[in-house]
Amino acid sequence: LNALSPPGKPEILKCRSYEKVTFTCWWKPGPDGGLPPTYRLLYTKENDQRVYECPDYQTSGPDSCFFDKDHTSFWILYHIYVNATNALGSNVSDIKSVDVIYIVQPHPPTNVSLKIEGHNDMLVKWLPPAMVDVHTGWLTLKYEVGVKEEKDQEWEAYSIDHQLKLKLFGLTPGGNYIVRVRCIPDSGLWSEWSDASYIQIPGGTKGTDL
Amino acid sequence: LPICPNGGTNCQMSTGDLFDRAVKLSHYIHSLSSEMFNEFDERFTPTRRFLPKSVISCHTSSLNTPEDKEQAQQIQHEDLLNLVMQVLRSWNDPLVHIVSEVQDFREAPDTILWKAVEIEEQTKRLLEGMEKIIGRIHPADSGNEVNSLWSGPPDVQQSDENSRLFAFYNLLHCLRRDSHKIDNYLKLLKCRLIHDSIC
Repeated sequence: LNALSPPGKPEILKCRSYEKVTFTCWWKPGPDGGLPPTYRLLYTKENDQRVYECPDYQTSGPDSCFFDKDHTSFWILYHIYVNATNALGSNVSDIKSVDVIYIVQPHPPTNVSLKIEGHNDMLVKWLPPAMVDVHTGWLTLKYEVGVKEEKDQEWEAYSIDHQLKLKLFGLTPGGNYIVRVRCIPDSGLWSEWSDASYIQIPGGTKGTDL
Repeated sequence: LPICPNGGTNCQMSTGDLFDRAVKLSHYIHSLSSEMFNEFDERFTPTRRFLPKSVISCHTSSLNTPEDKEQAQQIQHEDLLNLVMQVLRSWNDPLVHIVSEVQDFREAPDTILWKAVEIEEQTKRLLEGMEKIIGRIHPADSGNEVNSLWSGPPDVQQSDENSRLFAFYNLLHCLRRDSHKIDNYLKLLKCRLIHDSIC
């Protein structure tokens, strides 16, 4: 019995909003002290002394809290912490202060397509990430296209304001190219890169691969 | 006089172009405000740890600004335009204070001062642009009441460095927040008024 103890201190890992409407926070449990602990995510809001509890522990998976749109406000600070409790006591994480505006990290752009145009030009097209509303102006995305020949190490980066396509000129005939796209909101974090897309430019002399 | 495309001499910028310029300016002002806040936070607060929990409310918090997408989309565009103007005007005096105060902080790098001056300049230009836009959209509305939401710098002893730094930290925090609101609302308005909500 003497191996049992109150739970260890949990840690809030990160909070993210994928579409600037809702957001999620994840935490890492501390040692459980040999007894099954329960976790509660609690928070206060700027200029509001009331303590609220996580509205939804399920939607975003284990050790997480999902704030739906009715529980998400922008331009105010959320002060978030996690409380771990077992039969022998409890432990509280550090407080994490969050303004949802600055934790927006969209999913990667989708439907990346490559098309040869002319002899050795290429048209790259893509769509905004799913669930993101870029039409009303609530969320504005910029894009970056990464391009490289398979044999090269370095990526060439092209910044694109709001369009959903990029035309590349004068590519190496016969060259094998890899293309990927990512996006960033007007204030927030870069998405991950989209899956890589591959294409070979026609032309090039036979037997160049020796 | 400018030579207009159709040969006349009384051509003027389209409302869409005015909005484009306003959004570019608001975006620029917000990124400068963010950089200035982060730079100040990194340089002055590690040892003082102004906890975000201690941030006091902004002088513009009495304005009933939309706090999420639904509220922002439901509000009438006249009201949203007026809110943008009120927030913008409410920063005239605080920006003058920021520029003078930053020069008094011994270790403040020139880059913070440069940003403060640039933000003050660009905010004036944005205000002029917005007055033009409102003059186009709602000529009757283009009153320019002066907003004195800001009651001046907090009453702290000049010698109390910590309190002065915290007051300044709070002001920069509010500037970053309000400049983002202005930027976000202008992007919404531009999509709604110029692109029929299909940006």
